[in-house]
Amino acid sequence: MGLEYRAVGWNRQKKLYDLTLAAAVAVYLAAFVGVGLALKPNATAETLLIRAFGTAAFALLHVILSIGPLCRLSPRFLPLLYNRRHLGVTMFFLGLAHAALSIVQFHLFGDVNPLVSVFTSNAHYGDVADFPFQPLGLAALVVLFLMAATSHDFWLHNLTAPTWKALHMGVYVAYGLLVMHVALGALQAERSPLYVVLVGAGLAWVLGLHLYAAGREAARDRAGVGPAAGEEVGDGFVDVCAVDEIPDARARVVCAAGERVAIYRYGGRLAAVSSVCQHQNGPLGEGRVIDGCITCPWHGYQYVPETGESPPPFTERVPTFPVRVRDGRVQLDPRPRPAGRPAGSCSVKGAP
Amino acid sequence: MKPSDEFYVGYQPHAPAATGRFARNVAVALLALGAAAAAALSAGQRAFAPATFEFGAERDFVGVVEVDPYPTLLVKRPGEGSGWSRYLLVAFGKHGADELVGDRAGQAVRLRGALIHQDDRTMIEVAAGSVEPVVLEALANAADLPGEETLGVFTLRGEIVDSKCHLGVMNPGVRKTHRACATLCIQGGVPPILLARDADGREARLLLVDAAGGAVNDRVLDLVADQVEITGEVRRLDDLLVLRADPETYRRLE
Ligand code: HEM
Ligand code: FES
Repeated sequence: MGLEYRAVGWNRQKKLYDLTLAAAVAVYLAAFVGVGLALKPNATAETLLIRAFGTAAFALLHVILSIGPLCRLSPRFLPLLYNRRHLGVTMFFLGLAHAALSIVQFHLFGDVNPLVSVFTSNAHYGDVADFPFQPLGLAALVVLFLMAATSHDFWLHNLTAPTWKALHMGVYVAYGLLVMHVALGALQAERSPLYVVLVGAGLAWVLGLHLYAAGREAARDRAGVGPAAGEEVGDGFVDVCAVDEIPDARARVVCAAGERVAIYRYGGRLAAVSSVCQHQNGPLGEGRVIDGCITCPWHGYQYVPETGESPPPFTERVPTFPVRVRDGRVQLDPRPRPAGRPAGSCSVKGAP
Repeated sequence: MKPSDEFYVGYQPHAPAATGRFARNVAVALLALGAAAAAALSAGQRAFAPATFEFGAERDFVGVVEVDPYPTLLVKRPGEGSGWSRYLLVAFGKHGADELVGDRAGQAVRLRGALIHQDDRTMIEVAAGSVEPVVLEALANAADLPGEETLGVFTLRGEIVDSKCHLGVMNPGVRKTHRACATLCIQGGVPPILLARDADGREARLLLVDAAGGAVNDRVLDLVADQVEITGEVRRLDDLLVLRADPETYRRLE
């Protein structure tokens, strides 16, 4: 059943998402250029376009970076996350338009190859304030290109998940490069304090939101283990919580042996799997059991609770952990089971 | 249902009601925020100089070519005794006009080109292949000969810019964001000028030449777009100001 779900390319929600995104980009560019033409009659169209594209890409990057932590704070933001790949690709194309226009405007028609000139025409590499800002933009663009080009799940599988995930952490590298690109470029040339204030506020927002979400998460990890935190109860099992503390079709997440484990309750049974989704590390323990499968809240990947395996034809697998019930309390063995021997499930009544 | 009880699955056609409402509100808020940010950023841009490039609108000019230190066209103003205008000449892109008029020193020519101007400083982007010799009427009296006067030695502060972008091909054509481009232009033969500002913010544009009156392009590249201080002799050639100083003595201001 997972196949028809995951193979859905273009449904109503996705269309709404993309239409909204296209409208937002159009409104932004129109507002920037329109206000520029109205208030700055001497401005040239090229300058307004370069700036409209550059600032649009940079602003969109802030939205993209906020979605992850916002979803950690409230599942209500999940509709923003589902299709965020399209945000990333859109941002890349906005950055590309800005970069291409900048290269045509500032580097073409000279005696030096334009791409070489980006690096050589300001050679003050040893100076802090004078440091060339355009190579930083180009480096960011290369990172954004690699991510946009590999954003499809095809690449996730071909590059293997860890490589892909490492590559996509590059968004933070790109963000850092772009903050410097703007700080060493436009901020030095502009006079209005608005620019410094907005770039500073954006940086504070992105950093603050990540730290706050990480703090909340750490606190939840600690609290999740319950009153008898990690207490050994024999056979390598640790005490987790009372059976009734886990609502039906949902999970309790505990941090055991350094890993988040999701203990799901469904139709009178309990099963434990790693809370880290194989797709993009989504929080599997915040999902639901739908049609008998644990369903990830991020993009809806599904796993059979007893085996940790995605239903055929999919091949994802998350580690499973043994659970048992003693005197109405859930107990977990935090040692993952090897691939061929899944942990199975147990009855909430205490019988195997 | 509270949103926290709902479960959103992106590949289903409809989001649960409260989640959908929330997503719609966020989208509307982001749209409004984006429009407001765009308008504020655009309105906050530094003022643009009243500079013009008559791109695509070529006209004919008739005058006498001077090539040292920089290609210039001397055009007689209409009316007896009203003097001469000096148009700096450049070529397409980030190039000086040496190749277009280099072998025509002292000759009278007709050429086509697009005007570039800011305040009283003018320049022509010469169309390739448009330069042809003409015969000018003999000048009636000595008062109509091009004039040169020495104004004295001054110490001036300002920014070295490439005359082509600064006068109108790009706007802004100054400051750090334009440094790379200005460096390329000056390297390509576009005349460098000092955009000097006094304490009251009044501006003057002076063509930079070395102590012997020669072009300085390759010797100022490292100082482009920085604040510099230059001490030298200022001369007026008709309507053009020239600053004569050895580039070795230019001083970067921190
Ligand atoms: C080859 C790559 C790039 C080059 C050559 C480049 C060049 C420039 C230049 C010359 C400016 C100053 C423009 C002006 O003041 O009129 C600028 C500003 C800016 N750039 Fe880039 N850039 C590149 C990549 C990027 C990318 C990928 C982004 C964002 C995703 C970006 C975002 C910005 C922003 C926000 C500004 C400030 C607003 C502005 O003045 O346009 N740049 N860039
Ligand atoms: S992270 Fe994408 S479905 Fe779980």
